[in-house]
Amino acid sequence: MRHKDTLLSRAGTSFCLLLMAAVWMPGIAFGLTNDDCLGCHGDSTMTTQKDGKTISLFVDENTFKETVHAANGCVSCHVEAEVAGDEHPFPMTPVDCAGCHDAIGDTYGKSAHGLAKGKGDALAPSCQDCHSKHDILKPSNPRATTYPLNIPYTCGRCHQEGSSMTTTHELNKHNITKNYSMSVHGKGLFESGLIVTAVCSSCHTAHDVQKASVPTSSVNRDNIIQTCNQCHVGIVDKFKTSVHSPLVTKTNKKLPVCIDCHTDHSVSQVHDKDFRLIIAKQCGNCHEHQSETYLETYHGRASMLKGGERTAKCSDCHGSHNIMPSQDPASTINAANIVKTCSACHPKANQSFTTYLTHATHQDKEHYPYLFYTFWAMTGLLVGTFSFFGLHTLLWVPRSIIERLKAINKGQ
Amino acid sequence: MTKTQTMYVERFSVFQRFIHLLIIISFLTLAVTGMALKFAMEGWAAQIAELAGGFAVLGALHRFCAVITFFYFFLTMILLYTSWKESGKSLLGFVFDPEGLVPNLTDLKEMIGTFRWFFGGKRPYYGHWIYWEKFDFMAVFWGIAVIGSSGLALWFPEQFSRHFPGYFLNIATIIHSDEALLAAGFIFTIHFYNTHLRPEKFPLDPVIFVGKISLDELKHERPREYDQMVAAGELEKNLSRRAPTAWLQRMATVFGIFVVTTGSLLVVAIIVTMFKYIQAGH
Repeated sequence: MRHKDTLLSRAGTSFCLLLMAAVWMPGIAFGLTNDDCLGCHGDSTMTTQKDGKTISLFVDENTFKETVHAANGCVSCHVEAEVAGDEHPFPMTPVDCAGCHDAIGDTYGKSAHGLAKGKGDALAPSCQDCHSKHDILKPSNPRATTYPLNIPYTCGRCHQEGSSMTTTHELNKHNITKNYSMSVHGKGLFESGLIVTAVCSSCHTAHDVQKASVPTSSVNRDNIIQTCNQCHVGIVDKFKTSVHSPLVTKTNKKLPVCIDCHTDHSVSQVHDKDFRLIIAKQCGNCHEHQSETYLETYHGRASMLKGGERTAKCSDCHGSHNIMPSQDPASTINAANIVKTCSACHPKANQSFTTYLTHATHQDKEHYPYLFYTFWAMTGLLVGTFSFFGLHTLLWVPRSIIERLKAINKGQ
Repeated sequence: MTKTQTMYVERFSVFQRFIHLLIIISFLTLAVTGMALKFAMEGWAAQIAELAGGFAVLGALHRFCAVITFFYFFLTMILLYTSWKESGKSLLGFVFDPEGLVPNLTDLKEMIGTFRWFFGGKRPYYGHWIYWEKFDFMAVFWGIAVIGSSGLALWFPEQFSRHFPGYFLNIATIIHSDEALLAAGFIFTIHFYNTHLRPEKFPLDPVIFVGKISLDELKHERPREYDQMVAAGELEKNLSRRAPTAWLQRMATVFGIFVVTTGSLLVVAIIVTMFKYIQAGH
């Protein structure tokens, strides 16, 4: 009913305007001003029905005046309305931001979002889904959808686990907004208010969002180091000289990049319990044998219990970004440095102490024959003792039951 | 002596009972805290650590109980020394006393006799100490020597490695951990069964807590000891009409059942875990 009323009143207005134009401005090109549009759209009760939903067609003039587009007329975006003159068609075709923002439009068109949109994915975002429509503010404005503090919410509208996007699309990563909030970046943002911390767009870019599998993606394995280096200056230089750098180690095997050790969305502070407890697992993704055998030793066993973050982890002995092969004089586990490395926890460490096997296993007869034979000697002792006394006990059970029954009968 | 009047004989002195109490408290704590580390990857171990407040607390408890262990070892030495002095025997005579704690030929015969008894033979003519009790006692010595020395090495690794290669610590770890598995497994199954859980005694033989055993029980359980007492004319001297106080008996039951239950639960957790590993092929 409202729509009909509006149409009637609009028809009335149009008629008057046409009459006035015909009388006073013959031969002058007709131009729509914002006031013309607001004549209808300034009514806060103006609505329409779309797909069974009531949608407001109200545009708040005061809000719009503060936006980056304040100087633009309505028709500079809603071009159709200008062409049509007073009575624009309904529904209107969507606004094309690329008309002005052509470079960004190109980038977006090639991004994962743009490509999905192109394929007709109804849930793929267009400009307005991230930037809003009539409320577009500079990213430095705390009210902007693109203000650092708001970006996780802006992206989270679609990328939060359980949203219609996450439930209908096949995704490699899950719980990303939750993990991000718990991460060092997320805590920095939400708890410490650090708007310089990494938000979604810091790593994924704003308009050039690509799947990690795309070679040009900012989060592709080959580019991730540069992406992290935007903020973590200097670490790349250390890393380049370490065994993990492709410049140092020539191999066909996968070499690690930042996220292989630090994880991606759930990245935590390295001194945090959460991070220290996953180090052995992270290194173990490639160094499986070393990780497993570490877990057999005291350091590894204790690390699995409460408070276990305190025991030595891979990086405590081997270093982190600057890991060197043990033969290198700069290596923390080089014979020249190992006592100092152990001394961090064992102040009285000496050269002999450092021959403790931190990755020993009794299962490796070739490398650790002493451990192998000790283990099997002990196992033999256990099996022998338990076999004899186990048999002794088992044979005793029926006899003992008989004795008990005898005693009961005697008692009666 | 009326028929309803039960007579008692003292089996364990207050000092002996005190030593055993120290053993129980320290051994149980050592076993629980140590196994939590040995089987750290298991949920039950994580829960023990959680309950204690972290692995560092487990370590502190473990070392504290190690001190108690060395202390009761020292007390046992005093006990043996005073027993020797009281016996008036030569040192060798005391050590190899046929009724003493060192296993001898009689024990071997009794062991064979015991297996016969299981299959319907006559119950052996047991004396003051039966061979499985002697084994328990000797195993504590063997255990303290092995677990204690390897444990000290692991407690003071820097000092230990000044005199031995560092990789001896790896060997010490295996010995300490597996010998402890043997000790805990043995005490919580074999000792518990032989002494408390076998149907004749179930659920508990309180004598180690209350000290006294009834004359009837002695006569039945250890006929040789009874006959020796009669022959020596010492029976009357050792007899007492006073039963252990009800309070002591109640305490013994509550404490004893608590300890036996805790130990049994731990051993069940260990066995389940070991089976899991054997199945997984580790």
